Amino acid sequence: MKEKLKRIGDFEWELDENSRERMKAKARIIANDAVMEAIEDDAVQQLTNVATLPGVVSPVVGLPDMHWGYGLPMGAVGAFDSEHGIISAGLCGFDINCGINLIKTDLTSDEVKPKLKELVAELFRNIPAGVGAKGKLKLSEDELKDVLVRGVDWAVEKDYATKEDKERTEEKGRMEGADPSKVSALAMKRGGPQLGTLGAGNHFLEIQEVSNIPDRETAKRWGINEEKQVMIMLHCGSRGLGHQVASDYLRIQEQAVKKYNIWLPDRQLACAPVNSPEGQDFFAAMKCAVNYAFANRAVMTKWVRESFENVFKREWEEMGMKTVYAIAHNIVKLEEHKVNGEKRMVYVHRKGATRSFPDTPVIIAGSMGTASYLLKGTETAMEKTFGSSAHGAGRVMSRHAAIKKFRGTEIASGLEKRGIVSKSTHPKVMAEEAPEAYKDVEAVVDSVHGAGVSLKVARMVPLGVMKG
Amino acid sequence: MKYRFIDDLTSDVMFEVYGKSLKEVFENAAEALFSVICQIKKVEPKVSREIEMEAESAGELMFDWLQELIARSDIEGMFFSKFEVLEVSETRLKARIWGEEASPEKGETVVKAVTYYGYSFARDGKGYRVRVSLDI
Repeated sequence: MKEKLKRIGDFEWELDENSRERMKAKARIIANDAVMEAIEDDAVQQLTNVATLPGVVSPVVGLPDMHWGYGLPMGAVGAFDSEHGIISAGLCGFDINCGINLIKTDLTSDEVKPKLKELVAELFRNIPAGVGAKGKLKLSEDELKDVLVRGVDWAVEKDYATKEDKERTEEKGRMEGADPSKVSALAMKRGGPQLGTLGAGNHFLEIQEVSNIPDRETAKRWGINEEKQVMIMLHCGSRGLGHQVASDYLRIQEQAVKKYNIWLPDRQLACAPVNSPEGQDFFAAMKCAVNYAFANRAVMTKWVRESFENVFKREWEEMGMKTVYAIAHNIVKLEEHKVNGEKRMVYVHRKGATRSFPDTPVIIAGSMGTASYLLKGTETAMEKTFGSSAHGAGRVMSRHAAIKKFRGTEIASGLEKRGIVSKSTHPKVMAEEAPEAYKDVEAVVDSVHGAGVSLKVARMVPLGVMKG
Repeated sequence: MKYRFIDDLTSDVMFEVYGKSLKEVFENAAEALFSVICQIKKVEPKVSREIEMEAESAGELMFDWLQELIARSDIEGMFFSKFEVLEVSETRLKARIWGEEASPEKGETVVKAVTYYGYSFARDGKGYRVRVSLDI
């Protein structure tokens, strides 16, 4: 399918509606040459599959971190008409509201480096991580429901988060319309014990320093003033609760495909008409998982602050540890977008994609041991990508292949040689997240910046890495 | 061979499970799953749980079995390492599973879900062959 891509700019490619049968929308990919080289043909094919779905609004977007995913690639956006379109659990991803919180400090790397080992160890003590780690919170069923409905509002009430944290969270940490009665008992049971846990796999907590600041004016507004300033990046999602919601509704929507007689090019694209019970129930349940994930990261933010307090013997406020922004990158949202000059409400499915509205923060996480970026959203993103940008580097090698190829202990010592302190529950997790298993984050960021769908504000490099 | 891993795509784990009988293939699939979640050889069969389930076909039953095991591991905070299918038909399963309290020291990775990507449940002259991919 890649051979059919037409280049329409240095950082932009398109497939028109004639690229395959039944395509009702264009596919657009944001990528420079290096990134395009690394994108799999199968992933491009997946974009065209999505372009055949009912009510799809052109274009289906592939971002530079795109790689093969379930139904839709990770690093992609699909928008659907709010009356005639579909809504899909598969197009949202298994880890609903997997996302990133970026927290600033007023400490410099010179102050933090001597205490880095102690700090990483302290974070490991305070934040449950890895498969099988026990959560520290004991929530009753009613309290869990409260989390699902109110998200970060719950966290503020319980003194885990501040009002300022809430203001600096996408959707202000709470999607309206979350309905716990649409979440299965199994999902509730899976999620109950896991609130306030990091999980494993590609989830991480990183201590970083600012390495350069391409946009000082914006950076300053967002609390970043100088190189060497220490930042904290927290990447995780909705844990078992979100995974179960996704699994439950994939099954429900498989049935809906038959019930509503929807033609699918790929079984993985199970979906339901937007205004059917199967569609709206998913949306209401997904919002619960979204709120849970926002609360999850807010709770861990408090523990990050406490860990810093324990190590540096200063109050977190005094160390300037404020949330720069908290974003989601697996989510479905009902948004207004301009389509062919007209304003329309569309269900935007962002899967491994970050919201990039004008002047809002966009966070792109690099692979382990590599740089990460803070960017700002643009009007161009509203025109080209339904207000979306990339979310990370994007894998080029399966976890399984990475484990076979790399030794976790060697990865850890490689990081150490570069002065990066790392700690994981066991070495394999380091191997599967080896930087070589990912695209080059610089090429990904150059692509979104070049295309103008988000612009570089600050670049961060890791000092310490904690993995589940 | 009970099962083998297949290197297939960029973000999932895929394995193929074999068994001469339904009983065997269900037991082996559970073992393959937990060899991804935890260091299964280190997990002692200290306590047991019973699982009973029904589905419309053997293929669906297998899918549900694995999904149920993932959920049970999360809910009970346990790793499982020994699986005995007590009764099984194409549409019904009763099993006893053994394991111990989960701990990160014996963990491997979080399995989010079983997916329909490349999923197959086949029977031939030699027995059963099931292909499973996991979202991790």
